[in-house]
Amino acid sequence: MSYGAIAMPPASRELSRKAAVIGVGESDFGGDYAAERAKAPGYEAPTLEALIGKAFQRALDDAGLERKDVDGLSVSYTYGGPPAEELAPQLGLSPRYAVANGNIMAGPLPRICADIAAGKADVVAMVFGVASRSAGRQFGGNTFPAGGGGAPSSYYYYHPWGWSSQAAHWALMFSHYSHAYGVSEEDLGAVAVQLRAHAGRNPNAVMRKPLTIADYMASRYIVRPLHLFDICIVNDGAVCLIVSRAELAARGARPPVLVAGWGEARVKADKMDVMVRQGLRPVIAEAGRQALDMAQVSLDDIGHFGGYDPSTMQLVNQVEGYGFVPAGSGVAFCQAGGMDIDGRLPTNTEGGNLSGSYMQGWSQVVETVRQLRGEAGPRQVAGLDVAMTSLAQTDQAHPIIYVRGE
Amino acid sequence: MPQKRPDRTLGGPHDAFWDWCARGELRLQTCTSCGHRTWPPVEACEACGSGGLDWERMSGRGRIASWCTFERDYYQGTLPLPYDTILVELEEGPLFLSNPAGFTRQEIEIGMPVALTFVDAEDSAGPFRLPVFAKG
Repeated sequence: MSYGAIAMPPASRELSRKAAVIGVGESDFGGDYAAERAKAPGYEAPTLEALIGKAFQRALDDAGLERKDVDGLSVSYTYGGPPAEELAPQLGLSPRYAVANGNIMAGPLPRICADIAAGKADVVAMVFGVASRSAGRQFGGNTFPAGGGGAPSSYYYYHPWGWSSQAAHWALMFSHYSHAYGVSEEDLGAVAVQLRAHAGRNPNAVMRKPLTIADYMASRYIVRPLHLFDICIVNDGAVCLIVSRAELAARGARPPVLVAGWGEARVKADKMDVMVRQGLRPVIAEAGRQALDMAQVSLDDIGHFGGYDPSTMQLVNQVEGYGFVPAGSGVAFCQAGGMDIDGRLPTNTEGGNLSGSYMQGWSQVVETVRQLRGEAGPRQVAGLDVAMTSLAQTDQAHPIIYVRGE
Repeated sequence: MPQKRPDRTLGGPHDAFWDWCARGELRLQTCTSCGHRTWPPVEACEACGSGGLDWERMSGRGRIASWCTFERDYYQGTLPLPYDTILVELEEGPLFLSNPAGFTRQEIEIGMPVALTFVDAEDSAGPFRLPVFAKG
């Protein structure tokens, strides 16, 4: 299985609304994390297969389907896992279509939508699993991706100067941003505090204890100027999405969530400049234009945003980059409640990667489905019809737009 | 005594970069087709794809565009904590990731002028000269 994002099928209006997410399931993020930390006598970390099995069963139940209804299986792992052909019998499936499908939530869902539209399958179980925490994964240093293809990390070149880790990217971005727009560490803390407040309303989130700006400021630095709470958590877990042909989805018990649009853009040259001095905005904006055009909706239609938040800073980059707010104003927007449930752009209402779960963009899709169905309970956004998720790494952006079907 | 440093990336165009450093020169690749300057070293121009690349000497003058300070050990003790990194906008345009020499975070300001210098360093491949920046 290749390491890294798989390419999305090109955005095209012909592929809009051809497939829908009809079932979602997750493993016990918060419970598993607490058990791993507590390490009671006899504790054994759940296997990747056990995590996936749980998420799959929940998604199947959520969709109101039986195993025989599923004719496709897509597997996505960050640090390796059983091939689809091996996993299928473990899940009780005998799919006619089985694929390895990258890892992070960039290309996987659009690819399955395109394959469903092409007639390769009618109902696909998409599973994602990550067991990074129990594998002792550390980000940074002279490490190569465990279980991956051995590709070096994006920062490999800078080791002689000691510049390493994903967090260092967000730190360089924020130092520049802070200076350019007059945004302090304390200001940025509002993003971490907001996402923690969201997580507090999500029983399955990993970090639910309320966080204050004082807690944030008192927390240690990971890479200065970024604090512990600016950086995402790392936890094990699995997510399953059941995706079906749109016509079939309409017959289900719950409102289907149609996948309406997607986009993809990458930095071509001058990565440091685009990343640090432009906050990736040109890349994010280009990908966003593709997705909006494919979905035939406007930015103003989007009522919930599920952004990739390996750090507070990168979430702000996306809110600004797509054009929800002007460059430099994303932190103030959050401070004023703009990302809250009743704000103009409720953002990562399940707690995101910062406080919810580190499922590399997949749990944001689960939350989006629940929100669009009106099943988000105490964190439900009112009057929601259209939503966007976004996976944005240090050099690329992959938005997906969803609409509630009938 | 040379400073211990985490390993360089070596091979291909990287060797040429470090060879210039050994001579006390900071040289970056400039595309002979489109003029684009790039760093870290590449096999082909990242802007136009051309394989025609010249090693152009940089003046060594620049300004700090950003910074971050490491407080976690990613290198098994090779680098004493904390240590600072700076992103320098070279006079010729490219951004160069480096370390401050002779000053630390307390004095770093975005926009402050800096000037190239080299320190003697050593990694598992042997001794080398590392480009860093003093106050300019």
